[in-house]
Amino acid sequence: MLTTPVQSPEEAAGNATFDALLWALSRPGMARTLPEPSDSPIIDALIDRECKVHCNDPLLVPQILRSGANQIDIVGADHVFLAVLDDIAALDDVAKGSDLYPDDGATVVLQVTLDRGPRVQLSGPGVDGTLALRIGGLPAGFWQRRAALSRYPMGFDLFLRDGAQVVGIPRSTKVEVL
Amino acid sequence: MSLKSLTKPWQPMSYGFLDASAKRELRRKMLKSVAVPGCQMPYASREVPMARGWGTGGLQVSLTLLNPQLRVKVIDQGADDSVNAASIRRFLALVSGAPVTLDTLGADLIQSRHRIPEEIMREDQILVLQVPNPEPLRSVQPNMSIARQMHADADYGRMWLQLYEQIVRSGRVMQGAGYPSLVNGRHVMTPSPIPRWDVPKLNMAKHLTILSAGREKRIFAVPPYTRVKPLVFDDVPYRVEDHGGLTCSRSTAKGFFMNEIPQVDGSSTYEVSDSSYGVKTIQKRDGDAVQFGETWYNDGEMTQ
Repeated sequence: MLTTPVQSPEEAAGNATFDALLWALSRPGMARTLPEPSDSPIIDALIDRECKVHCNDPLLVPQILRSGANQIDIVGADHVFLAVLDDIAALDDVAKGSDLYPDDGATVVLQVTLDRGPRVQLSGPGVDGTLALRIGGLPAGFWQRRAALSRYPMGFDLFLRDGAQVVGIPRSTKVEVL
Repeated sequence: MSLKSLTKPWQPMSYGFLDASAKRELRRKMLKSVAVPGCQMPYASREVPMARGWGTGGLQVSLTLLNPQLRVKVIDQGADDSVNAASIRRFLALVSGAPVTLDTLGADLIQSRHRIPEEIMREDQILVLQVPNPEPLRSVQPNMSIARQMHADADYGRMWLQLYEQIVRSGRVMQGAGYPSLVNGRHVMTPSPIPRWDVPKLNMAKHLTILSAGREKRIFAVPPYTRVKPLVFDDVPYRVEDHGGLTCSRSTAKGFFMNEIPQVDGSSTYEVSDSSYGVKTIQKRDGDAVQFGETWYNDGEMTQ
């Protein structure tokens, strides 16, 4: 008879991180908590040698190298980790997928300040009616540029992280700046 | 980088059966499928100790989500006690140590074949549906490359034509299970072979639904609060099965989806398809303290 395997700490962290990410993306605008306040649990949960990653945070680079992922330029990357986003022109290069394969659109992880900054209103799948929240730390014109670049079902999906809190904004969400 | 940092201690089996890289791939695809509701995402369906077509897609999703705190319920055509449901439930518990339940209210994760429970699911629950054929266009376009192009173009004319032809030939839509439905106003999906009775439950539901086809290697999802509209013509309303007036012969539950049981004399009796709901109704009749949740249908009528 088989014995039940025991969940290792890494496995438990990966599972908890994915649970937070899945629910963050399913309920856009509602913050979930990651096991630790950094991008590294996200990398552990999602990234391996099948991924093409762009990361401009030098502190995360060793971990991405260890995962075996290809480190490439922002063009063509399927996961993009931006510790600082000064210029919204970077969004133009993020992979948006195609109508045939919307899943080729990138997952973009950004650092923001939640509960401060401009108010935005979300609507779309996962939002019960509308939801307003404050998202700070993004360059001016970010949401307008995102809307201009996304032609559903093409687009990219955002995870906005503030400490251990993460908010998901999938491409299906309509974001209005209030 | 040392050899030690690249290896992990020996284990007889990975937690939750799937290895870490299989889980990461499923996680990435599940996130994408939530981001584009109803759109079929290809994924590398792994081998699991079960034949393809017996719920391997749903099983892989459940194995990825499992942890020792997640309470699991498995249903097969509404029943918790059929062979498929019982063996999947036992396997999930064996490889993860997750607690199991038969009660819809007590479950965190519900893996289901061809039914959605009668009690309304909560915002924190996940429904995993096993899908035999994920492509709603297959009956009108057997070439899957062309079908993908049709999804990309939102070209669903043939789907409408098929429904129209059924109405012309038979006077009504003959599609019994897996009724094609438009998700978020963009992608037509098959809601897996759930009866027409269950399709309205997905519209603006509170729970997250993940549909996974292991044999066909596709995964798609319906996030909470997402529009799911069965394809219907303006002048031919959507009709669910006429089960609203039926009473369960064993539990006396009334107004739910029923299994028809043919009798020797040619007549039929009925029993409620959601076995856990039937059992709870019997327990209540026997005077046990049981908790019922709100149901999607009341007296055979959809409540919303």
